[in-house]
Amino acid sequence: MKFNYIIQLSFILSAIALLSSCVDQLDLKPAQNVEPEIALGSSTAISRVLIGAYADLRNEDLWGGRTILYAEMLGANNEIRWEGTFNQPREIFNKSIITNNTFITDTWLRAYSAINSINNILDAINLVDEADRDRIRGEALFIRGAVYFELVKLYGLPYSAGNTDTNLAVPIMLTPTTEVEEVTLDPRNTVEEVYQQVLADLETAEDLLPESNEFFARNYVASALLSRVYLQMERFDDARDAADRAITNATANGKSLVNNYMEAFNNEADTQEDLFAIQVNAQDPENNMHLFYSTPDFGGRGGDVTILDTHVSQYEAGDERLEQFVVRAGERRTDKWRDQFRNVKVIRLAEMYLTRAEANFRLGTSVGATPLEDINRIRLRVSLEPKTSLSLEEILLERKLELAHEGHFIHDIKRTRGEIQDNNDNSLQYDYDDPNLVFPIPQREMDANPELVQNPGYGG
Amino acid sequence: MKKSVLILVTLLLALPMVGWSQSKTVSGTVISGEDNMTLPGVNVRVQGTSRGTVTDIDGSYSIAVSNEETLVFSYIGFLSQEVSVGNQSTIDITLIPDAKTLGEVVVVGYGSVTRGDLTGNVASLKGSEIANVPVPTFQEAIQGRMSGVFVESSSGKVGEGVKIRVRGTSSISGGNDPLYVIDGIPVTSSGTIGKSNPLADINFNDIESFEVLKDASAAAIYGARASNGVVLITTKSGTAGKTKFNVGIQRGVSSPTRKNEFLNAAQYVELMRESGYNNDLANGLDPINNPDDYEDSDLEFVENRLDRYAGHTDWREGTVNTDWQEQAFNPEAGITNVNFSANGGNESTRFYFSTSYDKQDGIMIRNKFERISGRLNLDHRISDRFTIGANFSLARTETTRLPEDNQFNNPIQLVALAPITPIRDENGVLYDRPTTTYYNSLIDSENANWLSTSYRNINNIFGEYSFTENLKFRSDFAVDIINQNDDRFFGSRTITGQGTNGFGTSRWARIVNYNTNNYFTYSNTFDERHQLEVVGGMSFQKTEDNYTRVDGQEFPLDALKTLESAAEIVEGTSTFTNFTFLSYFSRINYKLDNRYLMTLSARYDASSRFGENNRYGFFPAGSLGWILTEEAFLKGKEGLSLLKLRTSYGITGNAEIGNFDHLGLYGPASYGLRPGLQPTQIKNPDLTWETTAQFNVGIEFGLFDDRITGELDYYDKRTSDLLLLLPLPGTSGFASFRQNTGKMQNYGFEVVLNSANYADQNFSWNTSVNFARNINRVRELSEGQNSIPPSSSRFLNGIFIGEPIGVFYGPRYAGVDPTNGDALYYSNEALTETTNDFNEATRMVVGDPNPDFIAGITNDITYKNIQLSFLFQGVFGNDIYEGGGGFYAANGDWFDNSTAIQFNRWQNPGDITNIPQARLGECNGCNASSRFVSDGSYVRLKTLSLGYNLPSSLIEKMKINSARVYFMAQNLLTFTNYMGWDPEVNADYLGSTTSDSNVFQGVDFYSAPQAKTFSLGLNVGL
Repeated sequence: MKFNYIIQLSFILSAIALLSSCVDQLDLKPAQNVEPEIALGSSTAISRVLIGAYADLRNEDLWGGRTILYAEMLGANNEIRWEGTFNQPREIFNKSIITNNTFITDTWLRAYSAINSINNILDAINLVDEADRDRIRGEALFIRGAVYFELVKLYGLPYSAGNTDTNLAVPIMLTPTTEVEEVTLDPRNTVEEVYQQVLADLETAEDLLPESNEFFARNYVASALLSRVYLQMERFDDARDAADRAITNATANGKSLVNNYMEAFNNEADTQEDLFAIQVNAQDPENNMHLFYSTPDFGGRGGDVTILDTHVSQYEAGDERLEQFVVRAGERRTDKWRDQFRNVKVIRLAEMYLTRAEANFRLGTSVGATPLEDINRIRLRVSLEPKTSLSLEEILLERKLELAHEGHFIHDIKRTRGEIQDNNDNSLQYDYDDPNLVFPIPQREMDANPELVQNPGYGG
Repeated sequence: MKKSVLILVTLLLALPMVGWSQSKTVSGTVISGEDNMTLPGVNVRVQGTSRGTVTDIDGSYSIAVSNEETLVFSYIGFLSQEVSVGNQSTIDITLIPDAKTLGEVVVVGYGSVTRGDLTGNVASLKGSEIANVPVPTFQEAIQGRMSGVFVESSSGKVGEGVKIRVRGTSSISGGNDPLYVIDGIPVTSSGTIGKSNPLADINFNDIESFEVLKDASAAAIYGARASNGVVLITTKSGTAGKTKFNVGIQRGVSSPTRKNEFLNAAQYVELMRESGYNNDLANGLDPINNPDDYEDSDLEFVENRLDRYAGHTDWREGTVNTDWQEQAFNPEAGITNVNFSANGGNESTRFYFSTSYDKQDGIMIRNKFERISGRLNLDHRISDRFTIGANFSLARTETTRLPEDNQFNNPIQLVALAPITPIRDENGVLYDRPTTTYYNSLIDSENANWLSTSYRNINNIFGEYSFTENLKFRSDFAVDIINQNDDRFFGSRTITGQGTNGFGTSRWARIVNYNTNNYFTYSNTFDERHQLEVVGGMSFQKTEDNYTRVDGQEFPLDALKTLESAAEIVEGTSTFTNFTFLSYFSRINYKLDNRYLMTLSARYDASSRFGENNRYGFFPAGSLGWILTEEAFLKGKEGLSLLKLRTSYGITGNAEIGNFDHLGLYGPASYGLRPGLQPTQIKNPDLTWETTAQFNVGIEFGLFDDRITGELDYYDKRTSDLLLLLPLPGTSGFASFRQNTGKMQNYGFEVVLNSANYADQNFSWNTSVNFARNINRVRELSEGQNSIPPSSSRFLNGIFIGEPIGVFYGPRYAGVDPTNGDALYYSNEALTETTNDFNEATRMVVGDPNPDFIAGITNDITYKNIQLSFLFQGVFGNDIYEGGGGFYAANGDWFDNSTAIQFNRWQNPGDITNIPQARLGECNGCNASSRFVSDGSYVRLKTLSLGYNLPSSLIEKMKINSARVYFMAQNLLTFTNYMGWDPEVNADYLGSTTSDSNVFQGVDFYSAPQAKTFSLGLNVGL
């Protein structure tokens, strides 16, 4: 019976021992995540959150390719054709967008995720070491300004459509959300308000940013982006000056046009021509322009975008830019996005010359250089005869061809009050301020926030 | 059940035999009609006398009788049989299993009760009823056999997920799968790599019984994890006596249950040319009649494409007509099973040992499942008071896997390729894009490998100590270890490895689940009237999940497939996550005068998954039963053998949420190879389980000596505090916030009917019917929220208050405008107006993926040595949405091949058809709408088996105990009006998050049909 007592005792003792040790086991912490107090609790941690905001900006939903893809689909103009299976780009290409288009929803969510990270950083900016504070604040404002600029261009009518004080853009969020109690239902701000916010963020960023900062935001990148904003607002003098500042500071820091046009594309690292590019590598491979524009032999999808004759016929004979057009996967493609794991071009120096030329031309000035000098700089590089005289149309055509398939054309059409030809219906054109060229507010957002008003043409 | 058998044997053997003068001695053997094994302990009685005996350990008996007398063979769980002796001297008997009876032992949480004493709702199934069913997982085998238990395989891919819903879907964003408990231990049932199913590691030949705890009274002892029902699995244990061996072998062939019909080459060419030409006509061009219009016309574009897709052949000559669908299926599909088991032991030590090999060559190419498993269940009585035991099992499963349904290398997606495209070029090399419209996934067959290997170890040791006759203590300690490796290599020609000279990934997961149960059981009878059993104790569970993954590319040669050869490592990750449950539980069973029953149970659960403000939860339940046939006024009533009423009410929880959902978190996010952090979720310290209050009322009856038995239950399951992802305005930086809000209701009734239609010595016929109707309604969402509409423009499933979960919501297709061939949609709820503008269409509920009712009917017929058994299983009233319809049923919208029915497209004004005019790339009716929703009801001849037991004369000569040959077929016939492949379907890739898998129901997206299998087998008992 002794044996039995021992067993009884050991059973009961082990049970008690188990009980007391188990209670401690209820308080587990995740291994892959940290709580906000840690993430925003030190200078180092905050600098990591800034990288996290860049990660949002570089995501495929934003500068990882889709903002460019959207522009190309909206501005297809019967010069390119979408042939892929993805319905989301196809709806945009056909200008018959469904309000729950997942790309459009994801871009919205991604944009505000980046904005929230930035707002958190700005809220905790005083914890950042003084030596880094201006730079981090500058980068944060740069990202926020850039994201709002993308949002206002996609989800609101263009600035050129006028009524900027009444036309709606997107809600402006300037404070962080850390707890659910802080979530607010905000109405859309006007186009004017969002543009002013973009200007405020980018102008401050330009002041705060250093001239060299690896592949992250630098002062001349902010200037370059500002020149785009001013162009949309048709503030040509500001656009000219911003472009000139970008050129001056960039060239002072070693930037210049690459010698051969096609060398400006498919780069693993930034070229001397890149003012800003999204860094892509095999570890961090998202590049939606490559995905949809390239072909299987280069790791792309089936070849979802075809370049049509109507586009190619606009180039002059001998234009080296024609080298980009190659038949792959059965159709003509552009090689600008051919290779996998290559950077996504966001701002090339060439754009600044074109912007400065156009603005100088419109204003009759020669800040930095004459329009002819700037345009011929672009033409000479691609072995075209220099121009001896210029018209606005020629400048805009040069701009269109130089920056083709890089997400510029539709925004230039919008600001210059042009029109877009429908691909399917010869008799159908979309005016620059056509609501069909504006995204819907995502349905999930409309459902979550009753303060929002839908864009015209989307059943709002 | 084995335990009660032993008791019976002992008791009966102890009875003193009464002497009697006899004319002769009759002997024989009794075998079970259930598994054809000999039956010890069968009561053999001479009718009208007190004389009798029981069968010995080998099932044989001998008894002195006279020729005029009649022998009665009876045994718990089997129908009694009467045989008049006559001039026979040997009487061999096969006892036929009874429909469910009162005496059956039912396993419940932390104990067992006899069915007669049960006051909750528990569905039971014996392992023997599903023996040899040729499917890889027990989940598929139990389909249609238990009332209120809905089973659905997501597709015909082997070794993948099986959805089980007990009494409906009770959660929107939490898990809805039941808790699986094997031999008292909650086992890991999810979380392995990809879509692999951890329950496929279980060899179901080892399973003695399944019980599904459905109502609150039965399930509440599992507390915070009981809302979705609990599946208790008991493995076989040894029986004392001579060691018995059983050897089985089974081979079979499989093919798809259904195929879809696609256009042939000539039809394809006609449709595509017409599609382009229609665009030209709309643009005022006529390239056929005006050759000048041809250049740059859409017709030219189409014909150029046809040239491209025809490869080295000319589509105009019509020489190539490739049936791409056929290429997706494996002509060698089939099954193999070899198993061996031994069981035996002596008074103090008993064992059950088994090993088994199962192989399923899937019906899809590149899809194979193999399992080798072994088990040793051992128990040893150290003394009268102390018993120890252990169950060891080890299984190795190896699956050659397929990608998710939406991937181009999912074989079924081959149907998208043009029938004018030859499979191979002139050199015998598989064509790929641009000759094929999309990736030719046959390349994966030659140039890719995907192997997932899993080792599963479920070990349990226990000790049971009786302090007194009435009080015992049991302690279990168990580990459930899954060690899984998923190795993939995609060569330089595949869609995945093209452009990077191959791509390889190696992933490892280790999931370790520790569990201990420690509890007392006290049972006693007072004054011969009051029977009491009390169970009380605690349990603790901890699960740890480690995962590692490395991806590489740039391989020197396709022959070098391991990452050692990868010149570039592109991803490496390791993660760790864990959770714990600490629980205290108790149950009181009380029975008064053998007719009034009461059960009270409760569990106090705490988990690391709950927020600090709500970490502990209490889950009580109670139930009452009344056996009317034990009352004087009904006792012995002719024809009525049992009438029992029972009712229960209780609270259970659902804790199937993320491990750290209650915390506010930042997660890693890098850019440019620099480390970063991003906010990922907002904290909710109040976050806790979902609560289900369930009411159940039931009646059980037995008629004509239990020849007909049945159960009828009504239940009402109300779930509140739903863990909902409240959609936040994205402007907050977050898409959603998880909180306890919202309500869902499931109510309905269940019917079980068992009938022994006929039984005599040569012939018996049993029928068992189960039927369940469940009505699911979303009752409340977050404050101010009426719906969670479809999240993607390609799919229709959404959530709406007052509707069942996951209803199809979208434009209702109104057919085709006979004047111009436009696809039309209704533009008002009244369905009186139509529009050809998709965006102007009114969105409404256009279908429901939830079945109205499910049913199964089993017939077991025995004639002499022949047994025939067949199960019809049906699902009724559910709809299916064909997510791929926008590609293959879109009237030639693009170059995907179309289903044959698309050939009925509108062509001329006045045509009446449902298929719009073909227009290339204009999406004339291709958007997600009710056009692609169809009735998914089906009835299947799920299982058919025909067996033959070799006669005892032959068996004796062969010196074996028993031998049975059988034919068994699975999914033999399917009756349905569904338009796609197979109606038992749910696209696997949509369930990437729990909430998605709950909402995305009834979606077919190039999902593999189910397998139809014919098999032959042999079981020999030694």
